[in-house]
Amino acid sequence: MTRQDRANDPGRDSGDGSGNTAAGGAGSSRGSSPGSSSGGTSGSWYSVRSTWRSPAGGRELGLALLILAIAGVVGFHDPVFLTGVVWHDILVRCAPAIIVSCGVMIVVVLGDIDISVGSIMALLAALLGRTLSSHELQWSVWAGVPLVLLSGAMIGCVTGMLVTLGRVPSIIASLGMMTLLRGFATLAMGGKNIDGLPEAVVHASKTGWFGIPLGPWAALLVVLATYILLTRTALGVRIYATGSHPESAGNAGLPVYGLRIFAFCYAGFLTAVATVVDVPRLPKIESGIGSELELFVITSVVLSGVSISGGRGRLSGVVLAVVLLTLVRPVLTFLSVGEAGEKWTKAIHGLFILLAVVSDRFSATMDRRKKSR
Amino acid sequence: MSEGTPWRRIARSHELMLAVILAGILAFAGWRMPQFLAWDGQLNLSRQLWETALIAMGMTLVVIAGGIDLSVGAIMGLCAIAFGICHQSSQSVGLATVACMLTGIGCGACNGGLIAITRVHPLIVTLATMAAFRGMAEGISQGASYSRFGEHFGRAFAGQGPFGIAVGGWINFALAIVLATVLSRTRWGRYLRAVGGNELAARYAGVPVERLKFTLYLGMGLLSACATLISVARFDTAKADAGRGMELEVITAVVLGGTSVFGGSGRIGGTVLGLLLIHETRLFASRYWRIDELRQIVVGCLLIGAVAAYQALKREVRREK
Repeated sequence: MTRQDRANDPGRDSGDGSGNTAAGGAGSSRGSSPGSSSGGTSGSWYSVRSTWRSPAGGRELGLALLILAIAGVVGFHDPVFLTGVVWHDILVRCAPAIIVSCGVMIVVVLGDIDISVGSIMALLAALLGRTLSSHELQWSVWAGVPLVLLSGAMIGCVTGMLVTLGRVPSIIASLGMMTLLRGFATLAMGGKNIDGLPEAVVHASKTGWFGIPLGPWAALLVVLATYILLTRTALGVRIYATGSHPESAGNAGLPVYGLRIFAFCYAGFLTAVATVVDVPRLPKIESGIGSELELFVITSVVLSGVSISGGRGRLSGVVLAVVLLTLVRPVLTFLSVGEAGEKWTKAIHGLFILLAVVSDRFSATMDRRKKSR
Repeated sequence: MSEGTPWRRIARSHELMLAVILAGILAFAGWRMPQFLAWDGQLNLSRQLWETALIAMGMTLVVIAGGIDLSVGAIMGLCAIAFGICHQSSQSVGLATVACMLTGIGCGACNGGLIAITRVHPLIVTLATMAAFRGMAEGISQGASYSRFGEHFGRAFAGQGPFGIAVGGWINFALAIVLATVLSRTRWGRYLRAVGGNELAARYAGVPVERLKFTLYLGMGLLSACATLISVARFDTAKADAGRGMELEVITAVVLGGTSVFGGSGRIGGTVLGLLLIHETRLFASRYWRIDELRQIVVGCLLIGAVAAYQALKREVRREK
């Protein structure tokens, strides 16, 4: 995990000069950074072409084309797939994953990893049910929801402090939190399922406004906010800088610990948002909620081309990757393979990442060959 | 912490710290619940430990070499399905065992090949193959489960060996000795630590990095297949969800055992202690308080607490120097 990848300017793809210090790409996950081959001519045709070639920009294009191709093929096979009802459903399904991915992506860009989001969601769902349900404490929505949001941020903060102040590697800290919080969630549920959430919350989560439920609205808002945060604020630049080389960033005076704690906090908060908007949609709250959410989110973050060693990755790719992965199950149902097809969902998810990995490798090799010629 | 010496000794040896914690827990258990320490009961409950232990020991080497294998649980699922289908069609346990082993080796070779050729981080490659293998197991089996493999098979892989310890236990003892020897006494042990410490330096020093990695992941596939055989024999059932969650349990044990997740250092003895610590704590927590969820909470706390304490002590020692 060498951190040789330079801090890509998140907004633009045309790099400002080659800041690439790839001295022997042995341990790097992606070879030399091909984004740097575009020279300094921003906005020219050349940078467009390099978008095609570089894994960073090409990845998003590839994902978008793949989504369109899948939609086209399946729509040709069965026109019902292209109707609003189906896409409405897909939109609702991918909303919570998009919201959580925005947070986890920042954590990964900073060079950490968070695999505890699924358990956080389970615990917060239990908290939501316990406080709001008509069979339980019957709190007002205006007290229960802020409490859930605050708890999410606090849990993230604890993980962040363990990682930074406690010096526990993030994969271990979040693995421990994942086990621990799942236990707390089961304990908080007290061995039964909770239903009877207030009508207003259920209505917002199921029908929403203008025909679109709360989930997609919240996802839109979160994506916009995260995009602005990453590309238009000093905080975003600092995050990329710290992720690409924590030591240099620290020497340059950036609050490395603060940024990393913030990232975990943000991921926890967004998980809480996803819980609030999505969980009331379910008929009842069970302790199994959010299991495998962390895997889904990490899979989409990796698929989107975010470098696992930090410093690189863009939000648009993450959103597209979540949509693509969510698409797999409905597509398998629509193709006439029927019920049996759904069981292959995971295999296809795996295949997508492998494809991404191999294509990355291939394009990096091609790039190097072209350069050496 | 000013007196220094005992703290320093504990901090220098993670194993010693684990052993102290383990002894403390066992002593507490023996005080509150004397029947907990009975040899027969412990042996009976140790059966669930052997599959995890088998994979955890292999994983120790992988993590020392700076890698990680998330796909072990999924390989177990695929191996179990291969075993079940082969047994159903041929009615021969021997053939099914061979099919199971070959599947494991195939999956391992797939992981190792991808990691060695593409040089992508193992976390990503095995994340992908984890999804792929589990998905294949689910897709091929379509939720079916296979059973009735016969007395003979059950006795061969899950029966009692000498001293009342299960066959899996003896396989584990042998493997632990072999791997510990490899790690501390042979060239390959040094190579592993070199690759984990600094892969580029190891490559320049002439270590066959690619071959080493390929062999490691191949070995993990093989160990997963062996673990599948033990677990299939124990339950007399082969299903696609065999080994679910295995990867996290194994990594917890390895890390608790003091192996650095960044590679370069670690010992088999630590992993064995880590495994025992998790196993005993879990057993005791669930039997003493009779609340099952406490197991998870205790294990989570143990993992974070042990690693944080180790890091803090290490810093303390460094400051004293």
